[in-house]
Amino acid sequence: MWLPVIGILLGIILGLYSNIQIPDEYSNYLSIAILAALDTLFGGFRAYLQNSYDELVFVSGFFFNILLAASLAFLGVHLGVDLYLVAMFAFGVRLFQNIAVIRRILIAKWNSGRNTHKKKSNF
Amino acid sequence: MRKANASHVMLFFIMLVVGFLISYSFQWTKERKDLNVSPEQWEKEYETRKLLINQEETNRKLQEELFQKQKKVTEIEEQLKKEKELYYNLVEDVEKLRMFVGEVGVVGEGIEVTLEDSSYVPEGENVNNYIVHESHIFKVVNELLISGATAVAINGQRIFHHSYIICNGPVVTVDGNQFPAPFVISAIGDAEVLTQALNIAGGVLDQLAYENIVVKVEKKKEIKMGPYLSNELDD
Repeated sequence: MWLPVIGILLGIILGLYSNIQIPDEYSNYLSIAILAALDTLFGGFRAYLQNSYDELVFVSGFFFNILLAASLAFLGVHLGVDLYLVAMFAFGVRLFQNIAVIRRILIAKWNSGRNTHKKKSNF
Repeated sequence: MRKANASHVMLFFIMLVVGFLISYSFQWTKERKDLNVSPEQWEKEYETRKLLINQEETNRKLQEELFQKQKKVTEIEEQLKKEKELYYNLVEDVEKLRMFVGEVGVVGEGIEVTLEDSSYVPEGENVNNYIVHESHIFKVVNELLISGATAVAINGQRIFHHSYIICNGPVVTVDGNQFPAPFVISAIGDAEVLTQALNIAGGVLDQLAYENIVVKVEKKKEIKMGPYLSNELDD
């Protein structure tokens, strides 16, 4: 159970103390990779809450999304079109959707936990 | 249990990647922000630059002014130098002229001619033929002046072009001062030239000897003459 928490802490520490320098034009890739990772993370969390979590889908989605976003951005840079905006937009919308669903589920759970005798209807 | 562990390990890696990406990009963006210059900073830099340029321009102007002033100073100094040279020359001339005029004493190489009355006067001869007269002194003085003496004195009294010499019985008056025999005529100049001028055959010394006057010529390394003694010249 504590392994993921340790993982994120270790990742943060590694990121803060790594001295890798990347060129300016790769900042787009970084931002899109972060967005993709966050999107997949929240997607997985939502799936877990909806009891439809599948590890293979989650893991493959995580890496595949990152790769796809990065390659889109790469293509965009070389075509002269800001294609990374597409990925940004798609991931952004999905991120908000996922978070909205998670919020609703959590609220529903909290409500049902507080009033077990009351019947909830607004879902 | 085993499956749960495996999924946790998977999650661990994913979380590691997510954490790394987020913190790395956070740190990187922060670094980039430090590098980037905000518009306010740009403005500030621009203002500072403008100030600096203005300052440099003023500096340049002042520098030019300084150069001009220095040039002026140099010119003035040059002029001053010339003036000083002029003054120096004038002072030298004045010094020389003063020596000629006799306002100051003079020192130099020269000769001394001593004229003495004859010590032996034969019986029945006129004594006047055996004493020094002013004409003898004139002869010597003129010869000395002609030969290039720069200063002549009789018994220490400087002689000038408007001096007078009077025979006054046993004494000779020079510019109002009376001097008895022997008369020492000192002259400053080239001692060699002066003695030879006096010694010319049939010259002054021969004439004096013919007139029974004892003449003694001495070369001297240093002859001192005091300043002008009498004030009768001013009359």
